[in-house]
Amino acid sequence: MTIIAKRINIPVNRAEGDLEISVEIENGIITDAWSSGTMFRGFEEMMVGRGPLDGLVITPRICGICSLTHLNAAVEALDKIAGITPPDNALRLRNIALMVETMQSDLRQAILMFMADFANHKSYANHPLFAEAATRYKPLAGKSALSVIKESKRLLEIIAIIGGQWPHTSFMVPGGVTFRPEIAELLQCRMIYSHFLNWYEEKILGCSLAKWQSINSCTELDTWLEEAPSHANSEVGFFIRFARQAGLEKIGVGTNSFLSYGSLRLPRESAISGSDGHFMKAGFSEKAVIGHLDQELISEDLSRTWYKSQHLPLHPADGETIPYASGNDNGRYSWIKAPRYNGIAAETGPLAEAVIGNDKLFKDLLKIQGPNVMVRELARLLRPAKLLPVMMTWFDELITNRHETFYTKVKEIPDGSGVGMIQAARGALGHWVEIRNQSISRYQIITPTAWNGSPRDESGQRGPWEEALIGTPIKDEQNPIEAGHVVRSFDPCLVCAVHTVKKQKKVGHFKLGI
Amino acid sequence: MQTKIICIGNRLKAQDAAALHIHDLLQNQSLPKTINLIEGGLAGLNLLPLLEDGGRIVFVDTVSGFAEPGKTVVLSAKQVVDTLATEYYDHTAGLPYLLAALPLVCDGAMPDEILLLGIEDYSQNEPANEDSLLLEAASIALELAKNGFTKPQQKY
Repeated sequence: MTIIAKRINIPVNRAEGDLEISVEIENGIITDAWSSGTMFRGFEEMMVGRGPLDGLVITPRICGICSLTHLNAAVEALDKIAGITPPDNALRLRNIALMVETMQSDLRQAILMFMADFANHKSYANHPLFAEAATRYKPLAGKSALSVIKESKRLLEIIAIIGGQWPHTSFMVPGGVTFRPEIAELLQCRMIYSHFLNWYEEKILGCSLAKWQSINSCTELDTWLEEAPSHANSEVGFFIRFARQAGLEKIGVGTNSFLSYGSLRLPRESAISGSDGHFMKAGFSEKAVIGHLDQELISEDLSRTWYKSQHLPLHPADGETIPYASGNDNGRYSWIKAPRYNGIAAETGPLAEAVIGNDKLFKDLLKIQGPNVMVRELARLLRPAKLLPVMMTWFDELITNRHETFYTKVKEIPDGSGVGMIQAARGALGHWVEIRNQSISRYQIITPTAWNGSPRDESGQRGPWEEALIGTPIKDEQNPIEAGHVVRSFDPCLVCAVHTVKKQKKVGHFKLGI
Repeated sequence: MQTKIICIGNRLKAQDAAALHIHDLLQNQSLPKTINLIEGGLAGLNLLPLLEDGGRIVFVDTVSGFAEPGKTVVLSAKQVVDTLATEYYDHTAGLPYLLAALPLVCDGAMPDEILLLGIEDYSQNEPANEDSLLLEAASIALELAKNGFTKPQQKY
């Protein structure tokens, strides 16, 4: 028998050159995969020697998609170094801003980036739901595509109000926030929220949040899907119907290990409860066994990266970011480091949050089907359903408690070290910061894409989406849409690229080699 | 006329940072009250709320393929949209996508005029010329903000 093995490069980020995915295909099935971050970023090195507060200004500018998330992680690290617990109102405002950025990202990614592929004629012309998908998701024309841009744009106004400016607000500072919104401003935020909630219920869910929250199993999901046209025709309903017929629940298994740092620090007095002081639970899960998260077990393996590597993986608080080489000598192939939890490659993101949070619906979906592209993307589309009720409660608590403080004075940031660990839209984000002699002596950031898009480690263990690609059938090597779905279901983000207006239209490149 | 100067790019990448340097230069000047200076950075589609109040918008950004290295060029909104490589949105969607989406999703008043002051191939610029280029570009941005520009493509 002749086995045909081909190495192809997959154009995942369409117009972005910072991520390259190569796969090996044998008889139409992916048998191996390599994910390569092609740009040295080196933010950590930029930080060394700067003032302790500079991380609040510089790190939000790393990424235009999740700048508030970096601000949040940076300020949490400084809170810890200063030994300060911000007042309840500050935590509420910080959390609301983080939730806005997360929900906006979730819906844009799902509809404008993931489901946009459903409207691709080359990939799905023969799919029974293609015509409907085209009317919904055709880029810059589909009704759902335009609707999500409009509604996510309006939602952002909340950040402009509570952050005092937009873009590039720096309203989170050690000790709290810099801005005490007026009651009228909080009421305006709540109006924007209510408008968004109505849209999310009507268009995304096709039912009320309360109705959705009553769905706890795969069987109940199927019943919900069939019991009303508004359910089947909602974005969630349509996604499930299209994805099942496209076989998306059969591809993209991954490592079956999940990581969440936990997020949304709870005010001391609040109607919202959670675990270990956070609304969103922290934890690590391997093969459906959920355990406590011990951040000391996080390490960065550099053996397959283009960084100078120590002989053992180091904890990020001790980690270094020294560019060392390029080329493929000694199996090195990425500028992304390989974070590991207790030596294990772990997936992070909305599905990981659902797993660690012991969400009954997702627990059942994983029990029946295992991790896959459909369930991973569904978790993203549904995350706002978890966040929206919490957001409303915190708005109400802010209005009731506005007379209380929003800031606890911090005279200076002392020497010391601290870590800010939160859940960004794409998953676990950590800033490990060390201050010595009143300046930053060490700064390490592990982004969600570093977890999900990591290269192999010294033992040869693949990163999560490398692993998720294995076994994926590719019908057309000229248009490997299945592989694109697998990687995009993790929502890769290496966005710190150069965004230049170019005169010539870009043409997608596709390399095929043996 | 109310005008916004929106400087976009990546402050942490030298080859894409020109507009942010121009932002910093303008920030240190006393600008007319009718001009609102904004650091747009990498906000991309998140700049939409700034474009719904009518008036004039002057974007400042690096460009490629429009002029000789180290020169500036003024482009209309249509010329910018014409460079859109793909209608698909992704994390790198920049100014062409933003301006293509704007008329489709604008809830307020569309801008009366949108211009892009482009700095060509900033990374190839000789360091010795950098300050003068940035000062000149800042001056042009201010001039455009005050008086607009009607010619479709003008090289300064």
